[in-house]
Amino acid sequence: MSTLLDGLSLGAIYALIALGYTMVYGIAKLLNFAHGDIIMVGAYAILVILNVTGNPWLGILVSVAVCTLAGIIIERLAYKPLRGASPLAVLITAIGVSYFLQSVAQLVFGAQSRPVTLPAFPKISIAGAQISAGTIITLIVGALIMAGLTLFVKRTRTGRAMQAVSEDRGAAQLMGINVNRIIMVTFAIGSALAAFASLFYLMQIPSTSPTLGSMPGIKAFTAAVIGGIGSIPGAMIGGVLLGVIEKICLSVPAISAYTTAIEFSLLILILLVKPIGILGKKRRVKV
Amino acid sequence: MGYLRDIKQSFKLKYSITYFILIAFLLAMIGLNAGGMLGRSTIGLLSRIAYSIIMAISLNLVVGFLGELSLGHAGFMCVGAYIGCFCANQLHAVINSPLMVLIIAMLIGGVCAAIFGFIIGLPALRLKGDYLAIVTLAFGEIVRNVFKNLPWFGGAMGLNTKTYKPSSLFIVAFVVVIIVLFLSQNLIRSKHGRAVTAIRDNEIAAKAMGVNVTFYKLLIFVISSAFAGVAGVIYGHFATPVMYSFFSYNYSIEVLVMVVLGGMGSLNGSIIAATLITYINFLLQDNLSGDLAALRLLVYALILIVVVLFNNAPALQKYREMFSLKRWLDKRVQRKAETVVDDSAVWNRIPTKIPMDEVLSVDLRTEEALPAQDETGKEGFPDG
Amino acid sequence: MKKFTRMAAIVMAVALLAVACVGCGGNSGGDSIMIGCTGPLTGDASSYGISVKQGAQLAVDEINAAGGLNGVKLSFDMKDDKATAEDASTGYDALYDAGMKISLGSVTSASCKAFADKAVADNVFAITPSASEQAVIEKGDNIFRVCFGDPDQGTLAAKELTKTYTKIGAIYDTSDSYSTGIYTAFEAEMKAENKTFTVQTFDKENNKDFSTQVEALKDCEVIFMPFYYTEAGLVAKACVAKGVKAELFGCDGFDGIKSQLDATVTNKIRYITPFDVASTDSKVSAFVSAYKAKYNADPDQFAADAYDAVYVIFEGMKAAGVDNASISASDLCNKVKAAITDKGFSYTGTTGTMTWETSGACNKVPVIVDLSK
Repeated sequence: MSTLLDGLSLGAIYALIALGYTMVYGIAKLLNFAHGDIIMVGAYAILVILNVTGNPWLGILVSVAVCTLAGIIIERLAYKPLRGASPLAVLITAIGVSYFLQSVAQLVFGAQSRPVTLPAFPKISIAGAQISAGTIITLIVGALIMAGLTLFVKRTRTGRAMQAVSEDRGAAQLMGINVNRIIMVTFAIGSALAAFASLFYLMQIPSTSPTLGSMPGIKAFTAAVIGGIGSIPGAMIGGVLLGVIEKICLSVPAISAYTTAIEFSLLILILLVKPIGILGKKRRVKV
Repeated sequence: MGYLRDIKQSFKLKYSITYFILIAFLLAMIGLNAGGMLGRSTIGLLSRIAYSIIMAISLNLVVGFLGELSLGHAGFMCVGAYIGCFCANQLHAVINSPLMVLIIAMLIGGVCAAIFGFIIGLPALRLKGDYLAIVTLAFGEIVRNVFKNLPWFGGAMGLNTKTYKPSSLFIVAFVVVIIVLFLSQNLIRSKHGRAVTAIRDNEIAAKAMGVNVTFYKLLIFVISSAFAGVAGVIYGHFATPVMYSFFSYNYSIEVLVMVVLGGMGSLNGSIIAATLITYINFLLQDNLSGDLAALRLLVYALILIVVVLFNNAPALQKYREMFSLKRWLDKRVQRKAETVVDDSAVWNRIPTKIPMDEVLSVDLRTEEALPAQDETGKEGFPDG
Repeated sequence: MKKFTRMAAIVMAVALLAVACVGCGGNSGGDSIMIGCTGPLTGDASSYGISVKQGAQLAVDEINAAGGLNGVKLSFDMKDDKATAEDASTGYDALYDAGMKISLGSVTSASCKAFADKAVADNVFAITPSASEQAVIEKGDNIFRVCFGDPDQGTLAAKELTKTYTKIGAIYDTSDSYSTGIYTAFEAEMKAENKTFTVQTFDKENNKDFSTQVEALKDCEVIFMPFYYTEAGLVAKACVAKGVKAELFGCDGFDGIKSQLDATVTNKIRYITPFDVASTDSKVSAFVSAYKAKYNADPDQFAADAYDAVYVIFEGMKAAGVDNASISASDLCNKVKAAITDKGFSYTGTTGTMTWETSGACNKVPVIVDLSK
């Protein structure tokens, strides 16, 4: 039971990161490899504000602002000039951006991991297992963000414009949608989600380091693909599934060393059974 | 026999110039080394360059010629390195000649990596594009995780190997580079290679033309993994112990960077880029010691971003042409070879209703002048 | 196309030739004795490498300020090896070309094995501050270490814990040779004493969330944690989150854990260490204040070990009567090796009083520090 809860809270973090991946991929059609590192930026923002002011709420606000700004700047400088170029070129710039952020973080904050002290949450007992209220908040906020995002994409003008851009960029442009602006907004939202992810990450794992984002980034990307990349509920399901499986594997001593292998094998298995992920949309190829 | 004929046909001077350069380079290095002119680090660098080139060529087969993105190429290298080096360790007890052991180990490593390539390729190639990319990435991580935990390969301590003198290893490594290049070039220029590029350019059309898509995809995948496995064995004998941590997706991506910077589908490009990137990495390591080492990643990242932006950004097309080395060279060569005589004045005297530029744009030998094509319709949207 | 091929060929030739011009010549060296070292200065493990660099540099500066070795200055250079074997090997070559006469090996065990391979072939003396895996010093008789060996700590920990506790738990990092090395010895010793214990694993590359492991060990009285302080800090925090009150027992990697903890952690924490920042020993406090003045941070055990390693080299050279920078690396190695393994040689530094076996192992008395005191 407690393994399950731990898995859920880890999964919620993966899910939030995966949401960012899936938004950007679904709309801009690019694998934003730097997404994990934006989480790292957010974590350092929280760390700095906490150390300076001691106010966690301000930390969250600043972190969201910094991440959003970072996302927009990265999009403007590194990705926008490449619109229309081959996707691989964009992928490599993304990798470059990822390295860039990591090295800047190391130069500024040092390579040492730094502890972050967030206010402690009260513990709650569920079915005999002790669990921190933070875990439950993570889950609830994750679900709320997912619901909000779904509504945003389905109901608002900008959201529908996003769908249009995702469907057919050329046609969207002809319909008077400012594609560049929509993609920028997407990046801003994705990066803001990364800031939330960094907060929940720190609640679970209270320490920052320059390479903090890379592994969760890959795992979350995996989660997004499992759920069907481009699908918002899919990212959520994929993330939670991955988190729970990781924790279950870790709790069984015989296979705990092979946890990573099992997680990634799961991805391969799911893609073999359903090549578009659990909730992915099938796209017809026109000849 | 058909294959031999293919080789014969494709053997032309312009294709073989790369070999001449590589062989000349290798001979020069052997000479310099024998004369004691090479520093230790240069010799070590040569081996690193050699296995990087093999990796880049190998990945280029998949990315450049087959047109599928693989993010887990280090995984195949990992298989080759671990299994090949493990076998080499056992073989040293049986066979006395270190060179023989190395060759056998490379064969074993290559074959094992090929088998893994087949196993992973069979299901994975059903997927396309980014899905394939993530599956290969996953594969790379799985392999690393499994080899780390298997009891025979040293676990977290790494697999110890008998290292060879770098001054002899680089010779073997470069010979392997030449062999790999030879095999790849001939594969690409054979009818099989054309089938592969046809799949890359349009899979559905290729299928319609009767190309066995699955077979060719698997073929390229398997060959490419085999090369990566061989590179792994060379790597494993360059630096001991073989550590699982080396084969992380960061390394896969470094190889991908080599392929993309060198130009997808250009083997010469891969060789140049692999050499340059390994060299840059080496220079940065060599010159940035101490505190400045943290700058290495930064400089590397900046080079990466700037080069890719410069090479690919549509907005920079004009500057690209201005600074294009190829264009510059072409100009130099052309100006000497063929002087273009400006004879437009002569042409303008001929009475015709069609503007001169349009006539010049079609084949002049055809009697009827074709109307100029409306090019605006072809201008794609950013997405294409 | 043809032109492109030709062009490509030309560029390639230029590129390859450029490589050839990297560096020529052999191990010449200048007017100072150069101490070389490789270690991770970038990447996940870079904090260890940076500590070693700072500690060693501090010692070299102090020695030079005090007049050097019989008038000969020392110099120190460290290459980044990202904690990988191949970069350590390249780093060794670069240092050798630059005139390295004597070395501190590498910081991490895997790198140090690659470094040692080459150092043994060239007969270059190496005394590693921190590569504690047993296989490192087994590479050759010119490879020494300042730190404890991994197995020693595991055995010691098992003996210490079984003295007071019955319900013992352990967590170790399967991806790290330091952690696995200590754990293997710990397990063997526990088996030898016929004691049972619960074990959990993790892989620091892939998971830093310790809730599951701590949950599984919640009934233990003590948790043995043979890994570094950053992860140890996370385990401690996970214990707080799960309400686990067990004692946390670590090895020398725990040094620095104080910086990772806050008031919420109430568990008793003890660890085996040769170096204690808070120690009142005059050598230690002098080192700590000098280090703080220079780098504005508390030194950790890596820095202390590196500091000591440089002084050991210095004392060794002094004992061997080296007074000339033009001595060859191999001669220097033989002299220092003989001096250090001499029965009468011992050195008292920031990590205690040390003597060396011919195997390269270092004898020093481990201290068990209780953090709450």
